[in-house]
Amino acid sequence: MSSVEESVKPREGSRSTFSLIWNAFSASVEFLSSVKFGVVLLCILVILSMLGMIIIQQNVQGFDAYYATLTPAERTVFGALGFFDVYYSWYFNLILLVLSLNIILASIDRIGGAWSYISDPKLFGTQGFYQRQRESAEVGVRGDSKDEVAGKIAAAFREQGFKAKITKASDLDEPSRVRMGITEDKVADGPVYLFGQRGKWNRMGAYIVHVALLTLFLGHFVAFQTGFDADVNMVPGESTTEIQLIDINLDKQERYAVALPFRITCLDIQQKLIDPGGSIEVFNTLDWRTRIQIEDPQYGTTVADVSLNNPFSYRGYRFFQAQTIPVGNARTMKLQLTPQDGGEPFAVDLARNGETKLPDGTVVAYEAFMPDFTFNERGEPDTRSTDYNNPVAVLQVTKPGAQAERVFAFASNISDDIPVGAPKLGYKWRLTEFEKVPLAHVLSIKYDPFNGAFIAWYFGGFGLMGALVFVFFVSHRRVWAMVGDRNKDGEYDVLLAGDTNRNHFAFEDKFKKILIRLKGEAYGQGKGE
Amino acid sequence: MSQVLSADDLAGADIKSPFMQYLPAVLSIVGSFGVLFWRLQTTNFPTDEALMMCALAAYLFAALVQLMNLYAPSGMAEKLSLWTATLGVFFNLSSWLVRWVAAYEREIAMLRDAGNPETPWMFRYIPFANLYDLSLAFAFGAGITTLVFLTRKNFSVLAAFTLPLAALILTLARFIGSDFIDLPPVLDSYWRPIHVGVASISYGITLVCFAVAVIYLLKDKVKPESMAIWASVFSFAVIATISKFSVLTDFAYRAGIFVPGQTAADKPFFTPFRLEIPYVGPTLAISALLLLGAIAAFLAYVYRENLQARKIGHGLLAAAFIFQLAAVGFWVSGVEAINDVYPRLQTQIQQNPGQVAAAGKELVSKQNLSAQEFAAITPAQFEQAGQNFLQQAGSSMFLSLKTNPVEFAGLITGIAGLFFVMLFSFRTETLRKRLPSLESLDSLMYKTACLAFAGLAMLLITGAIWANESWGRPWGFDSKETGALVAWLTYAAFLHTRISRGWKGRSSAYFAIIGFLLVIFTYLGVSYLLPGLHSYA
Repeated sequence: MSSVEESVKPREGSRSTFSLIWNAFSASVEFLSSVKFGVVLLCILVILSMLGMIIIQQNVQGFDAYYATLTPAERTVFGALGFFDVYYSWYFNLILLVLSLNIILASIDRIGGAWSYISDPKLFGTQGFYQRQRESAEVGVRGDSKDEVAGKIAAAFREQGFKAKITKASDLDEPSRVRMGITEDKVADGPVYLFGQRGKWNRMGAYIVHVALLTLFLGHFVAFQTGFDADVNMVPGESTTEIQLIDINLDKQERYAVALPFRITCLDIQQKLIDPGGSIEVFNTLDWRTRIQIEDPQYGTTVADVSLNNPFSYRGYRFFQAQTIPVGNARTMKLQLTPQDGGEPFAVDLARNGETKLPDGTVVAYEAFMPDFTFNERGEPDTRSTDYNNPVAVLQVTKPGAQAERVFAFASNISDDIPVGAPKLGYKWRLTEFEKVPLAHVLSIKYDPFNGAFIAWYFGGFGLMGALVFVFFVSHRRVWAMVGDRNKDGEYDVLLAGDTNRNHFAFEDKFKKILIRLKGEAYGQGKGE
Repeated sequence: MSQVLSADDLAGADIKSPFMQYLPAVLSIVGSFGVLFWRLQTTNFPTDEALMMCALAAYLFAALVQLMNLYAPSGMAEKLSLWTATLGVFFNLSSWLVRWVAAYEREIAMLRDAGNPETPWMFRYIPFANLYDLSLAFAFGAGITTLVFLTRKNFSVLAAFTLPLAALILTLARFIGSDFIDLPPVLDSYWRPIHVGVASISYGITLVCFAVAVIYLLKDKVKPESMAIWASVFSFAVIATISKFSVLTDFAYRAGIFVPGQTAADKPFFTPFRLEIPYVGPTLAISALLLLGAIAAFLAYVYRENLQARKIGHGLLAAAFIFQLAAVGFWVSGVEAINDVYPRLQTQIQQNPGQVAAAGKELVSKQNLSAQEFAAITPAQFEQAGQNFLQQAGSSMFLSLKTNPVEFAGLITGIAGLFFVMLFSFRTETLRKRLPSLESLDSLMYKTACLAFAGLAMLLITGAIWANESWGRPWGFDSKETGALVAWLTYAAFLHTRISRGWKGRSSAYFAIIGFLLVIFTYLGVSYLLPGLHSYA
């Protein structure tokens, strides 16, 4: 064996290994980029999604009761297969990932062909090409020359919105002329080709759809991976630097405190009721509003309103009005004070957590509000239920130069003989009106530092909608004409053809209109006379 | 292939102006807004329910005329059908618009009665709040899409297939009931009309796509007997599953029971009990047996060309159809006639005491207990919960056709399906000749599928954006979201197999049918059968 042979043989071996690997890689890529594979993935997603609809998922209300009805074997099998949280299982995410890859590869595979419609439109073709188009017809058009006939056809095209590009045989390069069967002696008086098109960018529509879809997937993925959901109770006057992150694991809900980079204070809560005298339940509610103040060591103080469908965004955190703690409370109160010495009763307005000064210098401050007053086992004022059965405002009243004392202002007409309702500190105290509000609001917080959800749904989502409208409501329409030789009737033989990638019937109408126009020309000037 | 066209060829070219093509659709919409304007001027006006019934009648009449036109073609019938369909769409949209005003006036009256001077914005009352509203809009979506395509050459036949379906949806709406709901505050968003409006139109388009698919299959010489097999399977499945599977296990149909709401204005509540309606169960069971026989006979015909089996199959199918009709009759008359619900229920419980514990379990399962708490409850405690409920609410229990709208709709749809396959079996070849060409049907099917795909995409996206704006969670795999996603993916598969695999015609038709069934499941099944955020609609 010569040194040359020795040096060549291993190279052949490595080439064949390389080619094997390359072939396997090519086959894999080809498989991954096939639309057939994409459709199979879609079908698997459909099946898994339906499975998630049939098996109640762990984040859906009613899961606990459903879970309790399952046998231990069902719980084990479903749990092991991830069926209780199928949409967040590793295999569901893997399928979405592979589908994204399939969309990318399939798009790369096909975009070249689609781009050629834009970059290299087919300006002319053989007779066979024209006849193979969806619409084609032969028509005789009268005229003094091929140029004149071409002008008439161009006008007919223009009427239907097609700008004609005219190509003469002499404009063709040698290979094209050969392909079209035009010999040298025919070049000067060869056929004239016309081409018109509309909506060529529609060919790129599918790829714009795919880009939008991938933006949607990616944005959502980023939001999911980098963000979290939490909530925080908002009681007027209270502030916090922590929110509660919720983690659901089968029938267990665990909460973790997460520190905020700023302090949030609840300034006020309000519940707009349909019937202000009715309950504070959902069906009697128009809106909930929470006024918050953010004190940020980095950016100072910000005050904002959060209400239903009107979230507030701050440094990647979005605050949403979510729920309430429906224990009856009051936002504002109107007190009626009757002086013990026989003076005229007068009204005093008091806000939750507020205070007011009476003409005699007495300071009346809010302490608490009980919707259904009682004394608990420890002898402290408390509420028996969450409903407004026996509402009372608990006040701290301070006479000038004296210690503060607790006073109860009842809404009911309680007797003066009962100690809590008896006149105190020179007045008989009554609660005449109050604006109903729950004890606290719960704000849900979505942390999305990179605005992934916004990018996903506003760019990806609206992009997808726009792209789909563009794809389905616009079509790429092409018309061709070839002006041939003069026939025995003295007309020029014209071969017309047309095609569209969508909405064939509308295109058929346009094609017929072009034909009618040309026929009209022909018959008007020729046979029609 | 190219052809040398003569002047005569082109003289007959039927190129309708877009104006004439869209005239009926435009007229119906403009007319409806005229009605809205009129309604705003007066309070003495027909109710939205009355207008809905007019729409139902017009749809049925237009479909009937068009069906007759299929067998005995006449230009007059074609025009009559077109303009009656236009009238139907006009009444349908008018009903929806009048309902908008009625909802506004209702809540404003409530606010003023309570001394509340607030006037919420008009869009709070847009009738997209419950399944009744959605059904009105869905039927309108189907009607207007039909009108748009009806004026195309040879497509007047579409009315015979789509309008009965639109009428079915309105019938379902009638049984759901037109009561207004107190709108949950979170739904008071401008995204609601956008999202649900898109849903209604998209659903309507999928219905038309489905109808075109069925027409395609018929034209493509799919045997009516093959269709009869599927229609029978559907009907059989409905009978087997309604009334918690009791028709085929106990030969009894038990209807749901209501108890009144807390006030006269409140909607009644569902109870976990059901009461047997006499004769309905046995009649349905016989129908189910006949359907099984019909399926077997038609299978013998389709696969073995047994003509005798075909004849027997048609006889059994007709009998099953009659028994199902009778069962619906017994059901309606039974529900109307039975006033002594509680005594009858007590008698029923004596025969089958297990119902109380089952009802108790259902009641307890709605109390948001943890799995451990739920598991700790004994059968005796479940039974006690059921007994307590019976004692509290038993005397106020009543029956209504509105207790089981999905079951009722399922049965009516089954009956309609059987009617159509029987119709297709009658002078099938004559019918096929009257249908548009396969090519044009395929093209329309593709076009409507494209529209449905784009519409469902918009539905998903607007829903996600609304959810993101309202509670910061654009996508949560809620049952209705997932249902719509599954339908969308099915249409995606439809379009991609068409592009890549060249699956046209029949294959596309099957996809269109599956897609529509999934849409119906999302529209109806998810609302009633699965838990989730969209259970209000």
